[in-house]
Amino acid sequence: MPELPELNPVIHGKLRLALLALLAGVEEAEFTWLRARTGSTDGNLGAQLLKLEEAGYVAVEKKFVQRKPQTLYRMTEAGRQALTSYVQALKQLLGAAIGA
Amino acid sequence: MNANAEEQELKDRLSLIESMIAEGRRSTESWGWTFVLWGVAYYVAIAWSTWGRAAFAWPVTMIAASVLTGVLASRRAAKHPETTIGRAMMAIWVGMGISTFILMFSLGISGRIDLHIGVAIVGAMLGAANATSSIILKWKMQFACALVWWTAGAVSCFISENQAGIVFLAAIFFCQIVFGIYGMISESRRHRQDASHA
Repeated sequence: MPELPELNPVIHGKLRLALLALLAGVEEAEFTWLRARTGSTDGNLGAQLLKLEEAGYVAVEKKFVQRKPQTLYRMTEAGRQALTSYVQALKQLLGAAIGA
Repeated sequence: MNANAEEQELKDRLSLIESMIAEGRRSTESWGWTFVLWGVAYYVAIAWSTWGRAAFAWPVTMIAASVLTGVLASRRAAKHPETTIGRAMMAIWVGMGISTFILMFSLGISGRIDLHIGVAIVGAMLGAANATSSIILKWKMQFACALVWWTAGAVSCFISENQAGIVFLAAIFFCQIVFGIYGMISESRRHRQDASHA
């Protein structure tokens, strides 16, 4: 029987997964936009984004636009690969669950 | 956790990924207003060049419309994330705009332009930009606009100057004003649907 893949624990968290998937569809996104799309609080969102940043899955850029601070998040290549692998593992697990 | 609950959780994760990716993509597609703005700008330039100082009408109106588009687009960009499609659209239209401006400006200064050539160039340029955008956005109505612009450009080479002017006015009306308003209505409908599904 083939060995079942393990799901990446960094991505498996629901909010972190939602954030990576959101960033997969855009070039870059602002903190406030991510907060609006996920319906999360500032503190929780900041903490989850930090975990993704520490894992090397997202890159952060801070800048000022019209004197207002702006924090932009962008998915890295490592993040894209991790999300792809996660989806593949998920499909494999689902296939095994259905076949069982 | 039993097998069914686990399977359901895995399915939930997959659908979460799909819905979030779609969410990121759909939130930025708002182009209708730019068509209306440029349609009005063309009409202002035509009216100004017909009844006012023809030499300044087109360059001043086009530069003003470009600045206005840039300001409005940057305000919208602050609320929406940048997407690859958005960047591709910007590249197509900015490239087309600069090419047309340089060509028309040079022809104007050299005195080698007339309405036939003007409509032919604008028709070809707008036809190409609309066709490219429509293929990327998979928007059939926009491809119809490309066909109208190409036809207007080609037809203007064979008709009188007055007729070419009428063809140009009609193409602006259908491909900028009518199409722009249609785009704005369909975009606002889609945003309302998205909001009700959220």
